[in-house]
Amino acid sequence: MVRFLFRKLGLFLLVFLGITFLSFCLTYLSPSDPAEIQLNKTGVAPTQELLEQTREEMGLNRPLLVRYGEWLAGLLRGEMGTSLRNGQPVAEELLEALPPTAILTAASMAVVLLLSVPVGILCARFQNGPLDLGVRFLTYFFASLPSFFLALAILYLFSLRLGWFSVIASGGVSGYVMPVAVLSLTLSAWYIRQVRSVVLTELSKDYIEGARARGVSEARILFSHVLKNSLLPILTLAGISLASMLGGTTIVENIFSIRGLGHLAMEAITARDYPVIQGYVVWMALAFLVVNFLVDLSYGLIDPRIRRGAENR
Amino acid sequence: MSARIQFFSRKPVTKTKGREDRRPSRLRLAFCLALLLALLVLAAAGENLAPRDPYAANLSQALQPPSAEYPFGTDNLGRCILSRILAGASASLFSALAVVAVVSVFGTAVGIVSGYLGGFADQVLMKITMIFQAFPSFILAVAVAGMLGPGLENAVLSLMVMYWTTYARLARSLVLQLKGEPYIQAARLCGAGRGQILLRHILPNMLSSMVVTAVSDIGNVILSMAGLSFLGLGVEAPMAEWGLMISNGRAYLQTAPWCILFPSLALLGAVVIFNLAGDTCRDRMEQGGGR
Repeated sequence: MVRFLFRKLGLFLLVFLGITFLSFCLTYLSPSDPAEIQLNKTGVAPTQELLEQTREEMGLNRPLLVRYGEWLAGLLRGEMGTSLRNGQPVAEELLEALPPTAILTAASMAVVLLLSVPVGILCARFQNGPLDLGVRFLTYFFASLPSFFLALAILYLFSLRLGWFSVIASGGVSGYVMPVAVLSLTLSAWYIRQVRSVVLTELSKDYIEGARARGVSEARILFSHVLKNSLLPILTLAGISLASMLGGTTIVENIFSIRGLGHLAMEAITARDYPVIQGYVVWMALAFLVVNFLVDLSYGLIDPRIRRGAENR
Repeated sequence: MSARIQFFSRKPVTKTKGREDRRPSRLRLAFCLALLLALLVLAAAGENLAPRDPYAANLSQALQPPSAEYPFGTDNLGRCILSRILAGASASLFSALAVVAVVSVFGTAVGIVSGYLGGFADQVLMKITMIFQAFPSFILAVAVAGMLGPGLENAVLSLMVMYWTTYARLARSLVLQLKGEPYIQAARLCGAGRGQILLRHILPNMLSSMVVTAVSDIGNVILSMAGLSFLGLGVEAPMAEWGLMISNGRAYLQTAPWCILFPSLALLGAVVIFNLAGDTCRDRMEQGGGR
C-alpha cells in the first residue's frame, strides 16, 4: 500500500509540475510583451530604452526556469499577479467566480450519475430491447449535438415559448435548472454508453450465471453484484468526464449569463487580460488533476484486490 | 493490464461489444462513405452552389423568415442564410480535416518513436503526453486560442494542441504490440534495418487502426471548432462559419430563431455523417475477422 501511494504521489507531482510549467509557458504565446502592457498601463510611451529597463525591473530578462520557480511559489501562496483589466488580484477574481461554477459542475455531475448509471445498467441488461434501442438512438443524437445548440434550444423552448424560466439567470435554484440540464444531457450521452459497455462486460462473466443459478434475484444481481464490480470503471469515467464538463461550463455560462469562471475567462480573453487567463487554466487543470488523483487513490479503498495486488508487486 | 486503470487515459477502451454488434454490411459501409463523400464535395463546391452572395448585406431584407426567395431566411444583415451555410461548410469542415490530418501524423510519429525506441525516450515522451492529457482539453484549447488571439489559424493550432495525445498513445501501444510479432523478428533476422522495419512492416499494419480513429475523431473536432467559433475564438466576423453564425444569431433567438436553427442543423448533420462513417469503419474492422 505504501509503495502504491508513493508511486501515485510521484506521478501526481510530475504531472503537477508539468501542468504548471505549461500554463506558465502560455504567456509566451501571447503576441504582446508584458513590459509593453505595463508601460501602456502607466501611460508612458514605450521607447526601446524604457522597454529594456522595464523588462529588467519586471525580471523578464532572467532565465525561464528561475521565473517559473518564482511564479510557482507565488501560485502556491495564492498570488498570481493582478488583473490587467481592473488591477484586482487574480486570485480574488477567480475566487469570486468560483461558487457558480462549482455549483454548476457538482449539480450536473450528480444528475449525470443518477441518470446514467441506472439507465446504462438497464440498457445492458435488456440489450437490444426497446429501451436500449431508444437510448442508443438518443445518446447518438445528443453526442452529435453541439452543446451550445442544445442550450439555445432549451432557452428558446422553456424561456421564450413556455416562459418557465427567465432568460437571464436570476441566481437561486431556478437559474441553474436549464444550465444543469444542458451540461448533464450532453455528458450523459457519452456516459450512458460507457456504463452500458462496462456492464455488458460484467454481465458476460461466469459469476452472473452462478448467481442466477443460485436463485439470486435479478435486481440484486444488477444493483448489488454488477454495480459493485463495475464501480471502478464507472468512477474513473466520471473523473475523466469532469474535463468535458469543465469545458462545457465555458459555453453554458456564457449562454445563460452565469458569472462563473467560464464567464470570467471569456471576459479576460476579450480584454486580453493574460494573468487571469493563465490563472483560470492552471486552476482548472489542477482541479481536474486533484479529482482524478483522488479517484485513483480511492481504488485501493474501494477494491481490496487492488490493495493486495499492489503489495504483491 | 490489471484492474488498475491507467492514470488519466482519456478514452478508456472498453472493448466489449456484445453479441449484438454484428459486422456492418458492405452496403452500409458504402452508403456511409458515399454520404461522407457527398458532404465533402458539397463543402468544396459550397461557395459556387450558393444561390446568392453569402457576404452581400441587404438591410431592407434583414431577419426575413424562410421563404421561397430565401429558403433558410436571412440574418440580421439581410444575408441569405442558405448561402452562408454552403459557403461556411469549407471553413467548418476542412479546418477540422486539417486538424485531424496534422494531429494524426504528428501523434503517430511520436507514438512510433516512443514505442520503438523504448527506454528513456519512451518514458519522457509518454510523460509529456500524459501532462497534456491532464489538462481539461477544451479549456486548454480555449486558453491557447485566447492567448494567441482570435483567428482561424490560431483556433486550428489550439485544437491541434488538444487532440494529438490520443494518437501518440494509440500508436505507441500498437507498436509495442506489433514489435513482439514473429514476423517482425523474422524481418530483423533477415537483416532489415530499423527504418525498414518501421516503415515497411510496422507502419502498414497499424495504419487501419490509426485511420479509423482519425475518422471517428473528425466529428469531435468539428464540434470543438464550432465551440471555439461560438465563443468568438475561431474565424473572425464577416467570414461565414457555422459556429460563428450560431453565435451571431443568439441576439435574435426570440425574433428570428432560423438564424440559429439552420446552421445548427448543418453542424449536426455533418457531425452525424462523420460519426456514422467512423463507427461503421470501426465495427467492420473490429468484427472483420482478421485484417
